[in-house]
Amino acid sequence: MSLPWTEKYKPLGISEVVGNEKALSELVGFLRSWRRDASKKALLLYGSPGNGKTVSVYAAARDLGFEIVEVNASDKRNLEMIQRTIGSAATMSSLFPVKGKVLLIDEVDGLSGTEDRGGVGAIISVIKSSEHPIVLTANNPWDPKFSSLRQYCEMVSFDKIRAPTVRKVLRRICDREGIRVDDSVLEALATNAEGDLRAAINDLQALSQNKTELTMEDVVLYSRDKIRSIFEVLGKMFGGSEARLIVDDVSSTDVDYELMIHWINENIPQHMSDAKELSDAYDMISRADVFLGRIKNRQHWGLLSYVFELMSAGVSLSRTVTKPHFVKYQFPSWIRNLSKTRVTRSKLSSIGTKIGNKCHTSSSGGVEHYLPYLEIIFQADPKRAAKISKFFELEDELIEKIAGDKKTHNKITKELKKE
Amino acid sequence: MVEEIQMWTEKYRPKQLKQIVNQKEIVNRLESFVAQKDLPHCLFAGPPGTGKTTAALCLAYELFGEYFQGNFLELNASDARGIDVIRTTVKDFARTMSLGEIPFKILALDEADALTTEAQQALRRTMERFTRTCRFILIVNYSSRIIEPIQSRCALFRFPRLSREDIAGMLKFISDKEGVKLEDEGIEAVLYVSEGDMRRAINTLQAASAYGESVNADSVYKVTGKARPEEVREMLELSLRGDFVQARKKLHELLINYGLSGVDVVRQVHRETFNIDIPETWKVRIANIVGEIDFRMSEGANEEIQLSALLAQFSLAGQEIGKT
Repeated sequence: MSLPWTEKYKPLGISEVVGNEKALSELVGFLRSWRRDASKKALLLYGSPGNGKTVSVYAAARDLGFEIVEVNASDKRNLEMIQRTIGSAATMSSLFPVKGKVLLIDEVDGLSGTEDRGGVGAIISVIKSSEHPIVLTANNPWDPKFSSLRQYCEMVSFDKIRAPTVRKVLRRICDREGIRVDDSVLEALATNAEGDLRAAINDLQALSQNKTELTMEDVVLYSRDKIRSIFEVLGKMFGGSEARLIVDDVSSTDVDYELMIHWINENIPQHMSDAKELSDAYDMISRADVFLGRIKNRQHWGLLSYVFELMSAGVSLSRTVTKPHFVKYQFPSWIRNLSKTRVTRSKLSSIGTKIGNKCHTSSSGGVEHYLPYLEIIFQADPKRAAKISKFFELEDELIEKIAGDKKTHNKITKELKKE
Repeated sequence: MVEEIQMWTEKYRPKQLKQIVNQKEIVNRLESFVAQKDLPHCLFAGPPGTGKTTAALCLAYELFGEYFQGNFLELNASDARGIDVIRTTVKDFARTMSLGEIPFKILALDEADALTTEAQQALRRTMERFTRTCRFILIVNYSSRIIEPIQSRCALFRFPRLSREDIAGMLKFISDKEGVKLEDEGIEAVLYVSEGDMRRAINTLQAASAYGESVNADSVYKVTGKARPEEVREMLELSLRGDFVQARKKLHELLINYGLSGVDVVRQVHRETFNIDIPETWKVRIANIVGEIDFRMSEGANEEIQLSALLAQFSLAGQEIGKT
């Protein structure tokens, strides 16, 4: 395959970047007017994947003639590494003050686990001592582990790219590549991508390999392929009557078993309506999950076959009364809810951590024992809410979350300004 | 200017052992430790809001005085779970010498029942190796969740629920200081909803006072109506009625919108089982189901799957109750 189109058609200057006009002007303004003694020496660009955060930094740097020094999530990001790569770049300016530099720390949420112990602290110390502007990007900056980092950063939100804008970009690429395609096809691709321009461009390239024309059929087949194989497996599993065959069917797919167990969980009630069946089937899937836990906690991989047996044949053969029938399988609602609410959940846990720091409790304790009362106070008494926000050092987005609605949030913001 | 403490639970948290209400016997024993300038490893067990963390803090203030900062570390096991933290943070703190005249430091490990068995084993070894330089105070809701070898190395303190008089006294004290008019029926209402939990009582008072000058039964119930979601009870009732799918929807709301952990949900379900309208013998059978799932959750990989299984079992139980 030739160059990825996301590279080939990368915007070269800010004027070529689509969407997020306000964020872009903040970015350029920040780079242009940056000074060593600025109160916030770093900019944190955040938003969902593929909406142009990193690309914008490169485009802006090019416009302004800055050189970029980059660290991203694929690098091993411990204290030493960060200080070696970025730390030196950050302070060595005085030797060769020829050209401006931007330090880009891409995907800070890639920071995790023990490997990155001290990573956040290292980034903060780099920000403090830096002789150059620093730009960070993140999908979800509300994780509690970033709460100290956020204090040193100006926060700039990048929104998803609107489908019509995505469509225009796709159209431009098709024209340059000489691909004939109907607007409705691009529309479908753009909608599919849900605001992720990079994903849309990648999809387009994958679909149009060795083609000069792209049809609706190509698009439909492409997006359904993966889902269809899960449907088939579930159909065979719930319809089967022989334990060995059921187990073979389920374990021979390339669908990850940790995902599969959620698909099965979601769709059990559609196949079994009797309470006894339901309870038996769930006892089986619950046992399967216990084995899964033992595998994870103790690395007993030998137990994996029990997981498959219990979650497939164990569940399926619990059906003794309900007649087999056609079922329209549903995507696991648990997983959908989890991904839909990822940002909300990190905000909750960030709020919990801030409460916990002052009230001698854990992050979940903060959410359980304090947050419900804070919500009431925020609604009823904006003045006190402002004081509490200051006390817990809550950022604006977190205040908004507790306030619950715009009107209340505005009132509290007004009170905060008076303080 | 020192910033004013905004949460009343913190503002009025006792600073000295003798200020702790109700727990007289416990306070006496702890004060004798202070007098002797010595302390065994301790296990503080009891329901939420009964003064366990406060007692640990006061004990450390009084033992260390000006050296409190460097000699006392408070960790929360549910945030810093896992064997890694025991191996590093705890060990690093425990093995270094203390400042001042007291020859040991104190490490308070809150919500220690959240530690896995492996982590507790590691903790046990650390407690043993560094006894000379560090004493541990483990704080838990249930002492039974701590492994036997640790229990046997600790002096056990059981914190009972606080009496109505003690909570009422504190509520009046705070209202006076804060200029809140607290009516008698308001006190009654707070006592009723807080179930011997001082933290909940004070938070309820503070939230109710946000509605206006005077705190009465209405404002208190308005607070608890909002602060304690009925979702747990509704989920339980839906599942007993056999509506598994809707019950599971409620479960997702609890886990996601209210940010409860699986353990929180099980705990609250357990509490509710004795309040719902089912035959008495079934209450115990339901508790048995809850217990089994609680156990599987500690072994399993997905809380959501275990809790779904709980609801499915409830559906069956509901059907059988219907037959009787």
